[in-house]
Amino acid sequence: MTTNAHIEKKRLDNPPASIKFKIQRREKEGAASHWETFEIPYRRNLNVISALMDIRKNPVTIEGKQTTPPVWDMSCLEQVCGICTMVIDGKVRQSCSALIDDLLLASGGDTVTLAPMSKFPNVRDLKVDRSKMFDHLKQVEAWIELDGTYDLGPGPHVTNELAQERYSYSRCMTCGCCLEACPQYGDDNYIGPQAIAQAHLFNMHPTGKANIDDRLNGLMGDDGITNCGNAQNCIKVCPMGIPLTKAIYETNRDITVNALFGWLKK
Amino acid sequence: MAVKFSNTFLLRKLHQLTGIIPLGMFYFVHLWTNSAALNGAKVFDDHVQDIHNFPYLLLIEIFGIFVPLVFHSVYGILISAEAKPNVLNYGYVRNWFYLFQRATGIFLFFFLLFHILNFRFGLIPGLNLIPVAGNADKAYSIVSGEFQITWVMVIYIIGILATAWHLAYGFFLFAVDWGIVIGEKAQKVVLYGCLSLAVMLGVAGINAAFAFVRPCGLLPTALCEEPHKAETNAPKKF
Repeated sequence: MTTNAHIEKKRLDNPPASIKFKIQRREKEGAASHWETFEIPYRRNLNVISALMDIRKNPVTIEGKQTTPPVWDMSCLEQVCGICTMVIDGKVRQSCSALIDDLLLASGGDTVTLAPMSKFPNVRDLKVDRSKMFDHLKQVEAWIELDGTYDLGPGPHVTNELAQERYSYSRCMTCGCCLEACPQYGDDNYIGPQAIAQAHLFNMHPTGKANIDDRLNGLMGDDGITNCGNAQNCIKVCPMGIPLTKAIYETNRDITVNALFGWLKK
Repeated sequence: MAVKFSNTFLLRKLHQLTGIIPLGMFYFVHLWTNSAALNGAKVFDDHVQDIHNFPYLLLIEIFGIFVPLVFHSVYGILISAEAKPNVLNYGYVRNWFYLFQRATGIFLFFFLLFHILNFRFGLIPGLNLIPVAGNADKAYSIVSGEFQITWVMVIYIIGILATAWHLAYGFFLFAVDWGIVIGEKAQKVVLYGCLSLAVMLGVAGINAAFAFVRPCGLLPTALCEEPHKAETNAPKKF
């Protein structure tokens, strides 16, 4: 997106007087889910979060039934924390940056459908537990070992290209879009692009390289990188434009060279 | 520290490898033999006889085709069972390809079962009952007899197209899964290459199938060697 994209943004010429929100509700983890529809007056510059805030003020469904206010997660409201991720009109994205005008222009209707991400435990309504992704970061040891007992001096020099590439991976906000859209992820049989990209981020670092085998080991398990099905949805839905597929294939090469044909060096 | 392989990792790599090395290679030989039918019954039967004359034929059949095929197809079905297709919400081209690869794989499992029983063993009741294996002199007449039946021909055409897709896209998947083709641009180039290969394999396969019902398949007959002419031009025996 160019920096001027917000100026060129399309708006609804004849917005409806009111818009409907079909929201998937669940009282608590393990409870059955059901749908509830709410209606709020349209106003300019609404996004999904501000619409949810309007609904929360007066949680009455279109049938006139008084209900509990919908629960969702939010924090930064500028698409850098990733916590407000949900499935909006069938596609996973951050609700803070999902503008109602864009959604209605795309669907051509006056209803927006909201559901929690399906690949994570659903805590309540639109709120999910994303701790699995942090377990995956531990599994691939996505960090650099420094014990801090003595001064290592200045860090190693890296080329501008490497720094740029590592920067693009470092933008991951652990939102879960890539895992939600992945047709292979789920049931704990695949670690997913998020952790693979973070392993690659540290494998690329001149100091982190020393522990490449530890990270590859975390990716070689029964739920590892090899279960990638190459549907490449991850790179399409990543809100930070991280080259996730490149991380997967670079790591595939690392594994082919270091693990699969590693014995040829012995 | 050494890297440990999990069973899943080894099985997946073996699945990718068996698809390319024994099975992919075999398919090119198979298509080559089929295409011999363009030049008539005798040329095709001779080609089949040449295969019968291979040394270690039974071992090649068992360990070069049968074992890899069973492994590749059974494990492939297990992989497909893990898929949670979502093309309706995420209708990206590569996501469709992901689904096609699994759909063609499952179809080919049943198609190949039929195909092998039908021709290699001649065991499908109501259809051909003579195995091509051991009857090279009847190979052309067996196949052309089957292909006169419309529904059999239709099934074979779908099978040929599914194989063309599955193998050509399989080459692409192998290249990315083994970290050979990494970058976005390079993947695009290789993907287009593999898609053209799919078209070529599909066209050549269908043309070879039609060669069993019409001389020279779908091509003008002038492009093919006429069988009797080929015989008269053959060097005389002394």
